[in-house]
Amino acid sequence: MRRFLLLACLMAAAPVQAEELVSGVSQDLIQITSNYTGSDIVVFGAVEGQNQNQGGNHGPKDVVVVVRGPDADLTVRRRDRVAGIWINHDAADLSGMPSYYFLASTRPLPAIAPAPILARYGIGVQSLRPDTVHSHHDYEPFRQAALRHLSQDHLYSEVPGGVEFLSDTLFRAHVPVPAGVMRGQYNVEVFLFRGSAVISAQSTPLFIDQTGLERRLYNFAHNQGFDYGLATVLMAIAMGWISSLLFRRPV
Amino acid sequence: MEIYLPIADMSVQWMVILGMGLGVGFLSGLFGVGGGFLLTPLLVFYGIPSGVAVATTLSHIAASSMSGAIAQWKKHAIDFKMAGVMMLGGLFGTGAGVWLFAIMRRAGQMDLVVSLTYVPMLGIIGGIMLDESIKTLRAQARGNAPARIYPVNHVWIHGLPFKARFRQSRLYISVIPPLVIGFLVAGMSAIMGIGGGFILVPAMIYLLRMPTNVVIGTSLVQIIGVAVITTVLQATNNYAVDIVLAAILVIGGVIGAQFGARAGAKLRGEQLRLLLALLVLAVAARLLWGLLVPPSDVYSLAGM
Repeated sequence: MRRFLLLACLMAAAPVQAEELVSGVSQDLIQITSNYTGSDIVVFGAVEGQNQNQGGNHGPKDVVVVVRGPDADLTVRRRDRVAGIWINHDAADLSGMPSYYFLASTRPLPAIAPAPILARYGIGVQSLRPDTVHSHHDYEPFRQAALRHLSQDHLYSEVPGGVEFLSDTLFRAHVPVPAGVMRGQYNVEVFLFRGSAVISAQSTPLFIDQTGLERRLYNFAHNQGFDYGLATVLMAIAMGWISSLLFRRPV
Repeated sequence: MEIYLPIADMSVQWMVILGMGLGVGFLSGLFGVGGGFLLTPLLVFYGIPSGVAVATTLSHIAASSMSGAIAQWKKHAIDFKMAGVMMLGGLFGTGAGVWLFAIMRRAGQMDLVVSLTYVPMLGIIGGIMLDESIKTLRAQARGNAPARIYPVNHVWIHGLPFKARFRQSRLYISVIPPLVIGFLVAGMSAIMGIGGGFILVPAMIYLLRMPTNVVIGTSLVQIIGVAVITTVLQATNNYAVDIVLAAILVIGGVIGAQFGARAGAKLRGEQLRLLLALLVLAVAARLLWGLLVPPSDVYSLAGM
């Protein structure tokens, strides 16, 4: 929440003549169907206005593109050896972590700004922290495990050099949207850095929705569980019956 | 070709799932077993969440039991009254099983439940089958018939109250033993995703002393009833039934079962029984391995 307020203040406070971002997304709605195997969206934009070279805002300009998925409640479990067998023994509930996080930047993050500044804007996978934690111990190893697993599943990623400048002012970044992403509202945030400080930022919503049969089946299963279960098992029984009609046993 | 499973929330190669349905269906047609005890671990090995595997396998069992039950019904080899009494016990057993399932799943212990219950079960079934087929093969080599097991007389069972007449089984016994058997087997069905025929059949023959000609048909009706109740309860309480997964498994299962039944009529079963025993033991060993060997990553992620 704090992050959004900061973003809002920044957008309101940006001086008119200063360098400013204008950005857009190639698609603002992605429909996931049963044969969806992932797709790409393009975030593009331009830096408008003059570099005013004031207040220490020297140095090259950098653009960071962040796409965040809707928040998720994660449970991270740790296996331990108990009486000779490996069982899930300890767990931490981390809520309010994004279900998807993609970052593209012009240069590697440490070259753009120091870690505390990046963390303030929620830039970088390492800066992602849960809103609330339910754990008996230090949750940091569990958080690291969550980051590791989500990175392996390509749900969290960072691509330094993923933002390319096509001209002095025009830039572009490809954002992969893998299969298995959560439905809901995504936010595309674009940050313009100059001399380790954010001088402009913009946020655009992006909607990802599941459509077609699987969505209807999911809704059916969750809204009318009884009918859904009955339909599933009656379908099975009907197929068993039909098969015994089709293939009459020779005996 | 990948297909998305809406409840398991993952994409799978549908050919692999169809192949599993076909293979297990073939074995169930060949040996007259339900095959749940093989299908559930196979789905877990493929990466289907344990809970979804357990809850969805019962649809496959219902389908393969249905074709068997129709054949038995035509031969008038079903004691519907006995099946009804066992199903009444089964209703409560399923309720208890689904409740336990929900607790274990919330605690993140569903994998453990599957492994811990399957390792001894598959070990025992595989061991008995291996022992029997080796004995039979040896006896055949020597040229004499295998030894038969004779039912034991359980006097205490016949002393229980609430007696009822089961005309089809030509029995006048207490309803308590069938109720208890129905309860226990249905509880196992809900937690393990099995039909439980391999427990029901010997229990009906040796404990209830039902005539063998009605045992198969009656157990199939009981299994179908429990599969229906369990699927509905799992869908209502645990949202663990995946209809797309069920459809693929069932299609593979019913086709495989027909081929299995035909093959069974032609083939000599003992060598195949030996192979099935080894397969069952291999699955048990694989599950045991998962329990004993340190995991590559001790952390795992759930939720979303």
